[in-house]
Amino acid sequence: MRANPEVLILEDDAETLDELQTHFTRKRFHPLAARSASRALSLLEHNRYSSRPVLAIVDWDLGKAPDRSASSGDVLSRLARELRECAVIVYSQNIDAFNVRNQIQRSHPRALLHDKRDGDASLLERVDRMLDRSVGDLRIHDGTVVVHAPSLDQHHHREAIRLVVHHPDIVTFHSDTATKAVRRFGEWLAAHESTVRLVSHGNRKYRLAVTVPQTPVSPGTD
Amino acid sequence: MSVWAALDAPCPPTIHEADRGHGPSRPSASIGAEGLHVGETVNTSMLGVLAPDRIRSVVVVSDDGELAVAVREVVPPEIAVVRDARPDDAAAIAAACLPWPWMVVGAAAVSREMATVLRERPVLALWLGSPPPGLPDTVRRFDRPAALLDSVAATCNAEVGGMRLAPGSGVELHDGTLFRGASLEALIGAHPGSIALSSRAFRTISDVLARHDVAWTPAREGALVTLARATAMTVRS
Repeated sequence: MRANPEVLILEDDAETLDELQTHFTRKRFHPLAARSASRALSLLEHNRYSSRPVLAIVDWDLGKAPDRSASSGDVLSRLARELRECAVIVYSQNIDAFNVRNQIQRSHPRALLHDKRDGDASLLERVDRMLDRSVGDLRIHDGTVVVHAPSLDQHHHREAIRLVVHHPDIVTFHSDTATKAVRRFGEWLAAHESTVRLVSHGNRKYRLAVTVPQTPVSPGTD
Repeated sequence: MSVWAALDAPCPPTIHEADRGHGPSRPSASIGAEGLHVGETVNTSMLGVLAPDRIRSVVVVSDDGELAVAVREVVPPEIAVVRDARPDDAAAIAAACLPWPWMVVGAAAVSREMATVLRERPVLALWLGSPPPGLPDTVRRFDRPAALLDSVAATCNAEVGGMRLAPGSGVELHDGTLFRGASLEALIGAHPGSIALSSRAFRTISDVLARHDVAWTPAREGALVTLARATAMTVRS
């Protein structure tokens, strides 16, 4: 059985939330949807060991949330501290205001910013570009598999998808189980003579690189 | 408080409505409208910017955060994470950058702890205006923000003898080897300038560069170290 990767969606507007949920379900992702920050925190807490979202879509402005006991900043801070391997997009009507950017990026320094005034379609296009992307001779298919294009062989693991979505950034994996899955993906790439290779930066940090020569790793001192 | 004084205060029909920001107390509960940010309730001790990480970091110290927004525009996200700091939390944020920040960009005063980090670790320091007292002489000073930002961008893309910053952390040598060491990252960023380096880091970098036939080597310049072309006359400590 395939475990579809999760996407956390925090959006206070019920109609927009429904639209985003439908979009991700159609793409075979499993949406963890919340209309309030406290609900999003609860979803993250309850799924702490069983699942870790590949992507989080966070609405910064939660004026319509049914419960205001926590803020979007609290969710971003939790993601930055405990789910560093999750790519994060934050959108706001006020994304141009430098104080809003400050608050977002102090909560989550690696969050990607999106202007809500460009409309929901623009956000979905950006998300699709991230999730349907190709890296070298690899591409993500249906949100659940990484396909090696020349052989059409498939690799089914959400950590492999995470690495492709994050390319060229480093991903920090949270457990030995996850890093074992990543190393198996690296072996799979080597066995398929892919143009993409797995690079280890130590301390459970990995990234994909699209180069032909092998990269030996020289241990450092720091 | 007297009951008479309380009559003028906004009184929502129910506690639940007050919590939702409806009724007479709506303005004080913040308006439930799209476009108004509601992120002020973040617990500052839990901010993501304080999360420890070994990804290469640029710490930007300013009073209002405006400089950090500008620096983020010029730093490629795959090269470094920009951490927005205020003078009072800069030392804590720098401590979360493991093993130490790659670069500190400043436009404000810094605490004694932060100055110590800048003096004792190989950290690139770029300052807008006069650097505060206690910082090392290697701090690069800029009078205009544009010049500072140009320098930050150029440093992120620095290349010396085929060596350049690898995404996230480490240095890619000319033969494709990934060298995981923050000291060499600092030396490449400082080039052609110099930076303070421990003897141990100096020896390790010398050995690695020689082993991989890199035409450059660390060289002493008084108390500081720079990257210089390797020759038979290069003096090694």
